[in-house]
Amino acid sequence: MKTERKEATGGHTIHLILRMKPVWVFIDEVRRFVESFCACAIPGANREAQLALAVHELMQNAIPHARGDDVDLLLEVDPAADRVLVSVTNVCTDDEYNALRDRIEGMYRERDALAHYVKSMGQTPTSSRGGLGLPRVRFEAQLDLSVKYAGGRVTVEASGPLRVPAIQVSGGKYA
Amino acid sequence: MPSQPLVGARLPVQVSEEKYSAALVTEPQGIRVAFRGTISTINPGVVLNPFVDAVHDHVRTHGASEVRVDFRELEFCNSSGFKSFIHWIQRINELPANGRYRLRFLATSARKWQRTSLLALSCYGVNTVVIDG
Repeated sequence: MKTERKEATGGHTIHLILRMKPVWVFIDEVRRFVESFCACAIPGANREAQLALAVHELMQNAIPHARGDDVDLLLEVDPAADRVLVSVTNVCTDDEYNALRDRIEGMYRERDALAHYVKSMGQTPTSSRGGLGLPRVRFEAQLDLSVKYAGGRVTVEASGPLRVPAIQVSGGKYA
Repeated sequence: MPSQPLVGARLPVQVSEEKYSAALVTEPQGIRVAFRGTISTINPGVVLNPFVDAVHDHVRTHGASEVRVDFRELEFCNSSGFKSFIHWIQRINELPANGRYRLRFLATSARKWQRTSLLALSCYGVNTVVIDG
């Protein structure tokens, strides 16, 4: 597997950058592309489904707020440093940024990603969208979330190790 | 005999959108709810919650102890779509203990997201969710 990875990446950092109009139906296509791209670029890491999921959820959060302006996606994979980064940038008001920053800070008051995710399942209304995407990325994609704001544009970053152990939980532990 | 979507007295228990569909089918093994495609619309609950409610009513009427929820042809489900399964668990938990039933999810290892999503869901629906596959 190490040989395959070296052949695919040359051991160098990989950058994938996409800029797109905020069209909802693009999300599925970008998720599929990211999944197949990662399977090709980082074979053996077994991270493609998790990174694709993170891209899907972050884009899904960004597009409704983009007001017709471009949404930027960056995927950065550094095999040597064992790091991966997914970031999505879109236009944003001060109030929207402050609410998002507070939300992400609030997430990390619960140190256990699964405990927070399960708690969110019980607290977010099931009749409307929103509220589960970021907890899902944190737990299921095993990525940590942060947010930056500059020039009227917000960037949500999801980053973590390239190689992670398979998630093991026993149902009921967190109920 | 092939499985057929159940057609009740008034409406079939099924939904079909551009990118996904779901249908309740009756089989010798019991009730199966098959999901296909990609659940990724902005708010899938508008379609899926009423569908789940119809399935729930059917299961209660027939007194089944378990429903197989078939994800094997489901390519992806976004977090908003997953809320419909949370809604389903909540509906089950509203029932008296002796009227509750289990959701047995049939998953495929070919869709890696299914394992982690269902593991998390099993932690929410502790006595409700069972995962096969």
